[in-house]
Amino acid sequence: MKIRKTKSLDANIPTASMADIAFLLIVFFMISTVFSVDKTNVQLPATHKENRKEVVKGSAFVVVQKDGSLKVSDGEEDSKLINMQDLGILASSWMAKNKNLPVVIKADDGVRYKYIHDVLDKLRNAGVKNLKFLTEQSRDNG
Amino acid sequence: MALQIKKDEPEIPTASMADIAFLLIVFFMLTTVFSANKGIEHVLPSNDQDQDPEKQEAIYIRVFVDNQFSMDGKSYSIEQASEVHDYVMTKVQQNAQKPVIIHTNPEASYGDMVAIFDQIKLVETEIKRPVALTIPSKDEAEMYDLYGVE
Repeated sequence: MKIRKTKSLDANIPTASMADIAFLLIVFFMISTVFSVDKTNVQLPATHKENRKEVVKGSAFVVVQKDGSLKVSDGEEDSKLINMQDLGILASSWMAKNKNLPVVIKADDGVRYKYIHDVLDKLRNAGVKNLKFLTEQSRDNG
Repeated sequence: MALQIKKDEPEIPTASMADIAFLLIVFFMLTTVFSANKGIEHVLPSNDQDQDPEKQEAIYIRVFVDNQFSMDGKSYSIEQASEVHDYVMTKVQQNAQKPVIIHTNPEASYGDMVAIFDQIKLVETEIKRPVALTIPSKDEAEMYDLYGVE
């Protein structure tokens, strides 16, 4: 009588669900990705959570850096440095294309107000209506 | 003698699926910027309709250089910004159309002005109605400096 050999068990890691997990992660990153037009690092002023509204996709950006230098983007291309004098003409050209284009002001917390005032005046004269001041959430009271 | 024909089962090769997926993951991970993408809204007045707020009626807030601000003549430091909320709240409850003017000194810091702005926006969220807020243009600001408001 023969004694059957014990079958050796194949040890393997199940990889069938690997692709599923991977695709889940892809979906997460695709949704959370914002191809931001501006990557300038500025210290934003802090405001309350309730007041902060989501920036509309495709908004034009006006970035004011700490030294008062300007960077702008029409919402499609990456932001580039310009002079204050050119902002008016540029904003007018945005308005000619889309008169309801929202404009986001991304300015450093410590920048002198005169630069912002210049920007506001130029935008107002160009006919900009929807404006947003980019802020971050204040830490203390929510 | 029976000939046995081996049947080939048709299959889509899925071995590389995970590789492709991970490649995409890496791409999205690298390009993702969890950017600060929220801010406070403000609607600029259009140029043609010149609606000057009744200056005597308005709550007049001035923001000064050294982290100070004044509201209807009383001075505060910027740490007391919540005073703006309380004051504007009581005034707006009496008169819904009460205009508010934020007049900022050119040398003052932008952050201080936004702190005041934030407080007024808080009032708006609480009463669920917009407050008649004006940020004077440069010409208007000069006028206020020359002739005063109060």
